[in-house]
Amino acid sequence: METQNGRYICVNCGYVYDPALGDAMNAISPETAFAELPEPWVCPMCYATRDQFDPLD
Amino acid sequence: MKPSVSSLYQAVELQQEIPPLLIGERANANGSKKFRELLLANDYESCLKIAVEQEAKGAHVIDLCTAYAGRDEMADLTTLVHMCASSLKAPLMIDSTTPACIEACLRIYPGRAIVNSINLEDGGVNIRRICRAAKKYGAVVVALTIDEQGMAMTSGDKLRIAKAIHAIAVDECGLRPHDLLFDCLTFTVGSGDDTLRDAAIQTLEGIRRIKAELPGCLTVLGLSNISFGLAPQARRILNSVFLHEAVAAGLDAAIVDVAKIVPLARISQEDRQVSLDLLQNRQVAGEKDPLMRFIEHFSSRSAAATDEEQGAARTPEEQLFHKVMDGDKQDLDDLLAILRERFKAVDIINQILVPAMRHVGVLFGKGEILLPFVLQSAEVMKASVTLLETYMDKAEGAATTAILLATVQGDVHDIGKNLVDIILSNNGYTVHNIGIKVPAETIIEKAKEVRADLIGLSGLLVKSAMVMQESMGQYREAGLTVPILLGGAALTPKFVAESCVPHYPGPVVYCADAFAGLKAVQEFEAGTLTATTYDSATAVQPMKPGIKVAEIDRTNPVPAPPFFGQRYVTEIDPAVLFPLVNMQALFRGRWGYRRGKMGAGEYANLIQDTVRPLYEELVRRSLAEGWIQPKVSYGYFPCYSEEDTVVVAADGLEHRFFFPRQAEAPFLCIADYFKTAKAGGDIAGFFIVTIGKRMGEEAARLYQANAYRDYLLLHGFSVELTDALAEYWHGVMRREMGIDGQRRHELHGAITQDYQGSRYGFGYPACPDLEAHQPLFAFLKPEAIGISLTENMQMVPEQTTSAIVAHHPQAKYFAV
Repeated sequence: METQNGRYICVNCGYVYDPALGDAMNAISPETAFAELPEPWVCPMCYATRDQFDPLD
Repeated sequence: MKPSVSSLYQAVELQQEIPPLLIGERANANGSKKFRELLLANDYESCLKIAVEQEAKGAHVIDLCTAYAGRDEMADLTTLVHMCASSLKAPLMIDSTTPACIEACLRIYPGRAIVNSINLEDGGVNIRRICRAAKKYGAVVVALTIDEQGMAMTSGDKLRIAKAIHAIAVDECGLRPHDLLFDCLTFTVGSGDDTLRDAAIQTLEGIRRIKAELPGCLTVLGLSNISFGLAPQARRILNSVFLHEAVAAGLDAAIVDVAKIVPLARISQEDRQVSLDLLQNRQVAGEKDPLMRFIEHFSSRSAAATDEEQGAARTPEEQLFHKVMDGDKQDLDDLLAILRERFKAVDIINQILVPAMRHVGVLFGKGEILLPFVLQSAEVMKASVTLLETYMDKAEGAATTAILLATVQGDVHDIGKNLVDIILSNNGYTVHNIGIKVPAETIIEKAKEVRADLIGLSGLLVKSAMVMQESMGQYREAGLTVPILLGGAALTPKFVAESCVPHYPGPVVYCADAFAGLKAVQEFEAGTLTATTYDSATAVQPMKPGIKVAEIDRTNPVPAPPFFGQRYVTEIDPAVLFPLVNMQALFRGRWGYRRGKMGAGEYANLIQDTVRPLYEELVRRSLAEGWIQPKVSYGYFPCYSEEDTVVVAADGLEHRFFFPRQAEAPFLCIADYFKTAKAGGDIAGFFIVTIGKRMGEEAARLYQANAYRDYLLLHGFSVELTDALAEYWHGVMRREMGIDGQRRHELHGAITQDYQGSRYGFGYPACPDLEAHQPLFAFLKPEAIGISLTENMQMVPEQTTSAIVAHHPQAKYFAV
């Protein structure tokens, strides 16, 4: 089980979603855990869907 | 008198008061590594000891098999029969398929033995000779339900073959019904293969029907096949429960490792239930399928498995199964030689290799193994089939479902299609892979010629999705109705359902990856394949990330480029590219070494011990062999924007680049980042970069040589290296324009666009249209560095990429 605040990486382009920072390109506020991202969320860099993300920490 | 067998010392009833008759299986050169090694060392005394030990553990009869490639079976078997005859109280089962060996052993054995075995595989030659010998010397015979078509899978076939054998053995050769022990064979329920889910049911039903319709005849079963591929501890339980069920169905004798039979009373109610559910293929509403439940139930069981259980004692069938699972090609020819003595080549493929690959596919689907390992398994499959093919009739291989595969017109990308080919052909299907850039007319012609049961079309870019859509009508008009499977990065279920499905009478199915393709073919065989559907009301609309500010600054300065016009650069040291290779995208994305369910430490070890060394080796080899030949054509050109078009002046001509605009806020368009003529005009950079054709050629060579994993690795490496070159050259251009500040090249900046300006690749989300390659080629003239265009504007070699470079500080990636 990974921590709530774990970072996730896009396997398609390498973009890292860091919960501490959120994702301004998708209007995601800081302190949003990866698991709490809305279902239609996609990678802000390459538009890969959430299932293309791998735990990083 | 009750039917019995006997040694020099005692008689043993075939129908035990408490069934079954237990036949010890360990004195077998194929089934026991220990026995084999002793035999190879000519240590007959120790071989005998293995036979004797089983008596103490409760075996009523001892099976003896010395058939092994390179050994003199006649000498080994007669020697050991002699020794067993005087040392064993238990009667002997002479396990051989060679009539001369059987005759010689029956002649010298001082009792009533069992012969293992006869079948109808050769159409009825050996069976007559062996039955006459059995009649002459007074022996019992094990009869396997195998005929010229192979091993009987269904209870109907098992009974049919048993009756045919009965007619020869009893009516023709004079044996009595109770001289026959029918073995109606069993196959694993542990592979996840849909065609084997009812294997236990068919076997149990076969036993019942043979007992009912061939009165007086007896039955025997080699038990352990039922649980191939499962964990050792779970196997013991499942084998024991299955034995109990088989006895209830009327089984008289079982060939087993007597030390590993667990009394039913010692098996917990839960273990028993989950085993019965698996054997009876019992689906429980709202729960996973019985195999998954079985595996999960036993997954936590600490395997106190000894070395003997882990590998040494595996039968050749199991060894082959595990070689496929482990991607291990070592000594494959030896193992297949052993198996060929007992099975037809086509049965080895259909009963062992294909179930093993299906099992690999199931594990991949659950995220328990990674793509490169699947490809290594496929390599073992391919190598095995190649070794077996010489022993097969042409007709035997031709009966499977046929799939035609092609990359569509104008598209040069073949990795996706080739992965589908690898997965399908190594799951036993007949694949006709007709290559890249295939026009619809050729696909129609070939589909008819090879009588394809399904057609699979592949293509990477947006343009290829359009080609697929447009060709649907052609396929319909050509009278085709077979299912069409579509795959490719630019496709979505929505596009397939709304733009392709309505234009073709047969099912059109979206496949996200090679395993979705496999699933579709399996559904086709089961008659359940349906067209892809899409419900826009319930479907999730993906977010459109990007800068939400529509106001674009018009006051930004226009940088001064060092020159205007086009230039070639062909002297680039490949070593500058490696620091810019996106390792995460390469390892996790292209190569499929995803972390998934692994712990952080376990994944770090995988990267450290396996993946990194593979990367280092690729770097070393590609430098040593000169595979990387970076070449660039680029330039800076005066331009101005005119609504959604950028007008570029080059060679005294105006070239118009139209860019699409977002249909929703903030309505971005690449042209917005360039000033209008009225505002004084602007400059635009363009580049086309390639790492040359050597890597693509080398990858193709690996694919042809069935080195599937290395093919995937090299191809992925070449694609990321091309992107690294684009990133490198974009950096050079930013520096030449003086907009790169003080930052150094680093990968993180490349991923997050942490620099001024942007490069927009043609064919990618902000400018998906490849038509722009026409004007671009007119003034960048990349033909001189070996780059050409296909009829639908894709660049060749595949390891080539192009872009328009914008210097505007607000220019970032977006999608239209």
